[in-house]
Amino acid sequence: MAKNVLLVDDSSTMRKIISRSLRQAGLEFGDIFEASDGAEALDVLEKESVDIVLSDINMPNMNGIEFLREKASRDAIKDIPVFMISTETGDDIIGEAKSLGAVGALKKPFTPDKVNEVLGPLM
Amino acid sequence: MQTDASCNEHVLQENCTQYLIAATQDVFASMIFMDIEPGEPLTGSDIRFQTSLSSMIGLAGDLRGLVAVHCTREAALGITSSMLGMDVEELDDDVKDAIGEIANMVAGGMKVSLADHNVKIDLAIPSTAVGKSIRVSSLSKGNRVLVPFTTSAGTFGVELQYIFA
Repeated sequence: MAKNVLLVDDSSTMRKIISRSLRQAGLEFGDIFEASDGAEALDVLEKESVDIVLSDINMPNMNGIEFLREKASRDAIKDIPVFMISTETGDDIIGEAKSLGAVGALKKPFTPDKVNEVLGPLM
Repeated sequence: MQTDASCNEHVLQENCTQYLIAATQDVFASMIFMDIEPGEPLTGSDIRFQTSLSSMIGLAGDLRGLVAVHCTREAALGITSSMLGMDVEELDDDVKDAIGEIANMVAGGMKVSLADHNVKIDLAIPSTAVGKSIRVSSLSKGNRVLVPFTTSAGTFGVELQYIFA
């Protein structure tokens, strides 16, 4: 069954590009939900049926690391996988994200082929 | 005699322009699908470059300063249209967001290149200004380079201002 995806990025442009890249990569997915920061993402996860989260790290209000930490503390949503898509790819910050439950990371900028390569197995 | 630190700074000053060009080309090749051609880099404190929209992102850490993307109206509209895959005709929020994201990704590319020299930087959140005559002041005692790029949609410039912390 096609998975429902939550895109978390403060840039509406980037949310559109990621959505387009998923289609261009030929990946099957169900509904796409959007949030502009970690706090909005938590609200969506509490209300909607989401199978995987694709999240930026560097965001105002609640960033991607704070989002992972808060999500991990909520039993109802803690097991939903989160994949980071960010300009932040240093070992330290990605290591912290993974220690908080992130299942992988993709560096911006990316091509549809790269999206297919890294997200295909998760979709 | 130069210290290791000053040697490293000298090497970085030599390479920063190339890192800036490479990061910009990577963004345009991967996500905007638009051919761009770098021109002769401009340096010095009194750089003049026609711009209708400028997106800036602050740099902190071992190297402080900013990365900015300056666009003419035509370039901003053309780049955003190509990036979003739809016609954009006004300098609206979509355009400000798109050019801001380009600045963010170029700065991210610079961060990766500088990390190879053990120079760690943190990125702020990008901000964008729209106007008929935007002027970005230079950091006192800082280094400044602006690389003009030519595209089918017009000209834009990518600027790096920095000072070693």
